[in-house]
Formats: sequence, structure tokens, C-alpha cells
Amino acid sequence: MLSLKLERRGEVSRKFSAAVSGFFLLAGLFFASIIFELLGVSAVETFSRVVSVFTSQSSLMQAILRGLPIGFAALGLCLAFKMNFWNIGAEGQMYMGMTAATGVVLLHAYYGYIPDFLVFPAMVAAGFLAGGLYCTLPAFLKVKFGVNEILPTLMLNYIAMHFVNFLITGPWRDPRGFGFPLSIIFPPYARMETFLGHANFIGLPAAITAAALIFGLLQKTSIGFEMRVLGQNFEAARYAGVKIGRTLLTGSMVAGGLAGIGGLVIVSGMLGRLRPGAPAGYGYTAIIIAFLAFLNPWLAVPAAIFFGGLLVAGDVIQATLNLPFAAVQIFQSTIFLMIIVGEFFKRYKIRVVR
Amino acid sequence: MGGMTETEYLVEMRGITKRFPNVVANKNASFTLRKGEVHALLGENGAGKSTLMNVLYGIYRPDAGEIRVYGKRVEIRGPKDALKLGIGMVHQQFKLIPVHTVAENVILGLKEMGFVLDGRKINQRLGEVISRYGWKISPDARVWQLSAGEKQQVELLKALFRNVKILILDEPTSVLTPQETVVLFQTLRTMASQGIGIVLITHKLEEVFSVSDRVTVMRGGETVATKHVRDTNIEELVELMIGRPLLKIAPARQLSREKAVLRVSDLVVLNDKGLEAVRNVSFQLFGGEILGIAGVSGNGQQELLEAIAGLRKPVSGKIFLDGVDITDKHPWEIISAGVSYIPAEALRYSAAEMTVAENLVLKAYRNPEFSKKILINWKNVAKKSMDLVQSFRIVTPSINNKVGNLSGGNVQRLVLARELGTYPKLRVVLAAYPTRGLDIASTEAIHQEFIKKSEQGVSILLVSEELEELVALCDRIMVMHRGEVVGVLERGMYDIEEIGLMMTGVKKMEAKA
Repeated sequence: MLSLKLERRGEVSRKFSAAVSGFFLLAGLFFASIIFELLGVSAVETFSRVVSVFTSQSSLMQAILRGLPIGFAALGLCLAFKMNFWNIGAEGQMYMGMTAATGVVLLHAYYGYIPDFLVFPAMVAAGFLAGGLYCTLPAFLKVKFGVNEILPTLMLNYIAMHFVNFLITGPWRDPRGFGFPLSIIFPPYARMETFLGHANFIGLPAAITAAALIFGLLQKTSIGFEMRVLGQNFEAARYAGVKIGRTLLTGSMVAGGLAGIGGLVIVSGMLGRLRPGAPAGYGYTAIIIAFLAFLNPWLAVPAAIFFGGLLVAGDVIQATLNLPFAAVQIFQSTIFLMIIVGEFFKRYKIRVVR
Repeated sequence: MGGMTETEYLVEMRGITKRFPNVVANKNASFTLRKGEVHALLGENGAGKSTLMNVLYGIYRPDAGEIRVYGKRVEIRGPKDALKLGIGMVHQQFKLIPVHTVAENVILGLKEMGFVLDGRKINQRLGEVISRYGWKISPDARVWQLSAGEKQQVELLKALFRNVKILILDEPTSVLTPQETVVLFQTLRTMASQGIGIVLITHKLEEVFSVSDRVTVMRGGETVATKHVRDTNIEELVELMIGRPLLKIAPARQLSREKAVLRVSDLVVLNDKGLEAVRNVSFQLFGGEILGIAGVSGNGQQELLEAIAGLRKPVSGKIFLDGVDITDKHPWEIISAGVSYIPAEALRYSAAEMTVAENLVLKAYRNPEFSKKILINWKNVAKKSMDLVQSFRIVTPSINNKVGNLSGGNVQRLVLARELGTYPKLRVVLAAYPTRGLDIASTEAIHQEFIKKSEQGVSILLVSEELEELVALCDRIMVMHRGEVVGVLERGMYDIEEIGLMMTGVKKMEAKA
């Protein structure tokens, strides 16, 4: 009798790990090309367009810009998931970050309390705080009443979404906007591209700095150590004398705050105004990105930019090859699915036993 | 010892070699089993006893060597093959279905029972066997209702019903009370007298002398000697096992009992099910004292230690450390006050995916030695970890290996290293079964460490099921049963028999009478 048996691998080398990832990435491209051929378009043609996104400067800048909000949110999720805090609410936290940043702009536009050059820093602070506080709410429920965070974080997304809808169709609607549910267009001093010519020029360094800070927090500080122990084993954390409430609240504040910064990038760097449905699911995509990065902060931003590239490539394929949007989604998910399958094979090997 | 003939071998294993990645578990090992004998397979943890028997039971395939059963050369590809040859094995973890009855567990997988089961007939046959061995289990009892000793009897029943001629028991007494152990040994002798050959895997010497006919000693994967039990003695076996003679344990000493370091008064603690696990327990622990808590596990010892460590909230009662009330304090404050806790399940309180070094400083990372303000000084952590790995003989490729990849004994040593070696001012050690699963050499090292600490004035509360361990180390022994203190014995008045009885709830006076 032949049968298949799963066997756990011990610790694997980086080289092996990279080789497996590469293999499955190629496998993903192979399966995707089968789908393209079945749809009647040339796979080679399609891939050359995907690759061109990453080689042409203008579309690469587009890819980075799309990846940045996802990257910030994913960085926060790396931290949250390391703490075993299953935050599904990055989307809602992005909404709150967008709202707070927009609020600062509107306050300034209508009342003008602060000088122009302070508006952008105030937006950053407000975006971080709003996202962070929105994330500490479920963390507080968990600490105080033992409520599992998954449903509260998820449901708060809908509340945030409808809150933004309320603002944008009501008090915050642009009075000269012909009744469209949009805020006023942000003045230049509230937009990321004003500073160095392109939003990426401050967004990307900021994202890399954030990655470094999250890495440092987790690996070099005692509170980061407490977060990792807590994420590993709740019992062990209690046993080690970790102050669990304080750790969870701090961690969720930072995690939500980074999603809030992601929201800020959307309104200040991409759209230049608040509009309904703006995060476009980036908060959910960030969950996948965080896992693709193995919760490693250094990998979260590159992974997000890679995904941003796939988003841009999707637009290109759709427009130039006349493919349905669903085909683009199948292409993106095939690649991601295969990378995740690769993760499985880094942990297990299959053996044929007699 | 009827039926024992010198020539009749049930099993002959010769030149068995079994390699695992990075380690050779068996090196040219040999073993024989005769009809009707109890053969102890003795050795330290990692000596290769279980591996050798798992080869015989077909769980592992040997890389070299030959196995003969009933004189015929065989290839055993799995437990199914082994059972066909009449080889049975009782593992440390019982393989029973708790919600099923004894009878259902026994007949599960038995083909000759037919498709339609005749409950009455089965119960009758089971009843015969049960009474023949003088057991007290009912075929209709659900397995989850049974004690560990009774569950083991169900495992033995399964073997008997499958007409096993060769029976392997892997450390069968590790879960038993002293009384249950006596019953098990009677059972084994009866089985042997009916011609069954029994292999008893153990690292306890007294088991060799109380029940076995022959003993094979293993060390480092090799079989170093096979002896008739009547021709050998403890000293010789210890030397064969660890390759050197054993150090002697410190004698009785005089302690001042003026000021209690730890004082517990009228403590009531609930277990996870919300039932009273600790009932009105009061005691004092003095400076430099080793106070033993004897009792069958599950009689409130763990809940008591958890309450002192701040991990479980007492319902009522008080705990004082150096006169200060620490009841309901946060675990961190209790740790800072110098109370360390060696829990029974080492892995349950470890971060398995984190490194050896990180787990070693799981409690000490806040010490000034390891962290300046909020930054952890990983260089100092690495230096300290290297020291601890060496002095507590933790076997690991490096201090950056994941703890989850270490063997059970090494995780246990890691916990001991952390709890004994990383507190700046250690006052009290709460130790639950600190040597469980450790071999003689490691156990001895831990005992020496406890004695050294107590000489430095550290007080130790030692929970153990090993009465020999308690008697050898403790200044006093407190016996617990169902959450209550049955009695406290002073050093010099220890009587193992009496303690064993007290562990079943018989009060001290009655035990004496």
C-alpha cells in the first residue's frame, strides 16, 4: 500500500525558502497563463505587459503609490498579528484616518486656526490617532471583557464606512460640488505631492522608516518582546509577568495608527479629497500582504508595492487586451494562492510511504 | 516464575542501528526476551530504550540489524505486523477513547468479534480476565471515569484480548500512585507466569529489583550490559547507566525556624472547573528550607502554586512573603519580589516559536542587566544564555534555536535554568515536578542545585510524586489530598508506606494505628 504522509520540516535555510517561493511564483504564472490562453489572449503578451508595469517609470510610480496605503496598513497588521490580535479592521481604521485627516483640512479651510505649514503634520497626527483609537476599542473590549477581537474589528469597518458616507453626503459635502458626495479638493499644502514633487518621495521613505521602527519595536525593545511573547502564548505571557492589558492597548494603538496613516495617504496622496468607498478594500488586502510578508515588517512594504503593481497591471490588461475585470482578479489570486501554497511546503514535506 | 526456560527466546534483536537526522538513536544494539520473563530495559532519557522498542513494534524501521521473533527472522513494517506476531505495546500516553466504555475500547478493531456484537458474551469474557487479575474495573464503565491506573489496566486488557505473547510497556509507572504500582507489578508477574514475555522500559532502579528477572542497560544508544537481576545491585546498574558512580545527597541539617519567608493562611482556590481545588490550606515556609508537598497529582498542588505565583486568584485566605501581603498581586510584582515558579508543563508556559535565549530571559528581560530603559541588550542576553545553556546542560544547536524544536527534557532544563538562574534576588522557588521526565544524571544535578540554593537561604516548595525524591531532599513533607493538608512530617520521621497511605487521604493518626 502506498500512502502519502506529511512530515514537518525542521528549521529551513533562507536559500531553500527563497527557492521554494520562486518555484511557486513561477507555478502561479504558469497557471495564470493557462487561464489567459483559455480566454483567447496570448500569455506572453499579457506577461510582457505585467512586467512593463515594473520597468516603466511612470507606471512603477503608480504601483508604489497604490502600494503605500496597503503597506502602512500591512505594517500595522504585522504588529497586531505578532501579538495574536486578529485585527480584521484595518479597512475601518483607514476610514477613520482619512476622516480625521480630512477633518483637519476642513477645520483649517473654514476657520484657519493654524499656519498652513502645520496642516500636514497635524493631518498625520490626527490620522494616526484616529486609526489607533479606533483599533484600541476592540482591544479594550478584549482586555476588559474577554471579547474576541475578530467580530468587533470587522463590524467596526461598516460603522466607519457609513460614518464617512454620512459626513460626505451631509456636513462635509463640498457646497460647490453640484451635490456630488465629495469633500472639497484639498489645498496644496495638505497634499503629499506638494513637498517634493511626488507623493512617493515622502511616502516611500516614510513607509521604510515605519518598517524600521516596527522592526526595532518588536526586536529591540522590552515592550516589543512582551508583544511577541503575548502573541506566542497567552499563558506564557501571564506567567512571565507581562502586563497584558497595557501591552495589547499599546500594540493596537500603533497597529491602528499605521492603518490610519494609510488612510491619510489615500486622501492626501492619491485622491486629494475624501470620497465614499475610498479605501477600496485596501484594508482587507493588507491582511494578505502581512501574511505574504511572513509578518516581517521589512517585507511588508515591498510586498505591498508588488501588489500595487499587480493592481496597475490589472488596469493595463483590462484596457489594452479587453479582458474582463474578473480575469484580472483570477490572475492576481492565482499568484497569491501559489505563494501561500509555497509557504506550506516550507513547513511540511510530503513523503510516500509503503 | 513458571515456564521460564533458558533456551526459549521470544525475541532476538541483533546489531540494531537506527539513525535520525543529526543523531544515532541506536548503535549496534542487541536485546533478547525469554518466554515468561519480565525484562527491564533500563537507561537514561535519550539512551535509546524507546527507539529500540519502537523498532520491535514496527513504528521505526531499523537502518541495520536483524530481528528474530520465535526464532524466525522477521521484517516488521508497522504495528499491524507486530500485532500479527503477538507483539503488543502500552505507550506512556494511553490510546483509549474516553467517551467509550471499557468493553468498547477493548474490542475496537478486533476482527474475530464478528460484525454483530454480542455485548453479554463480551462482558462475560472481560469479567473473567478482570477477576483473574484481581482488578476492579467494570466493562461498562466509561474510560474517562477511570483513574490512570485503571486506564492502564484497560490497555493491558486490550493486549490480553489480542493474545499478545510479547508485551512492551513504556515507563508504565510514571502515571501511577505507589499503591497502583504494586497492583501493576502483581499483574505483570501473573502475566509472566502465563508465558508472556514482558519488556519494561524504565529509568527507575527500584522497578528493576521489585519486578524484573533480567535487565538490559542502555547508554548512548548502545546496550551496555544484560544481567540477571539476582546477580547485580543498584550501584552497578547506576554506573552502567550514567558511566560513573552517583554523588551522595546532603544529610539532614539544622535550620532556624524563627521567621517564615512564605506564609499561607486559610487559602481557598478554585480550579478551572470552578470547584474548590485548595481547601483552607495553611503553612509556613522558612528561610533555606525545602518543604515537600506529596500527593497524587491533581489534588490541588498545581492550583496552590499558581495562587502563590499570582496566576490564579484565591477565593479567600492570605499569602505573605517576608511579612508583606502578596495575595492578588500582579504576577510581575511577585516575580520581582523573588518568587520563581517551575510549572509542571514546561511547554505550556514557553514561547515555542521563540528562541532559547528569548525563553531564558522570559522573566528577566526587565532586569537592568538586560535592558536599558526600553531597549533590550541582546548582547548581554546572549552571554547569559550561553552560560546557562552550559551550566544546565541544555542540548541545543545554538541559543538562537526555537524552543519548540528541543526535546522535552531540554525544555525542562531550560525552565529550570530560567527559574533558578535569572532572578537577581531569589527568595522562594515554587517547583512542580521539576525532575519529571529527566534522567538520573539531570535529576541529580537539579537536586544538587536545589540543595545549593537552599544553603544560600533560598526557600523551596517542592511538589513531587516521587517519594524517594521528597524524602531525600526535604526538611519537612506536607501531604495533600483533595485540596486539604492531610499532615506534615518532619525529617527523620519519614515512612514511605505511611506517606503513600496519607496520599490516599488516610489521616496521619489513622495511618500510624
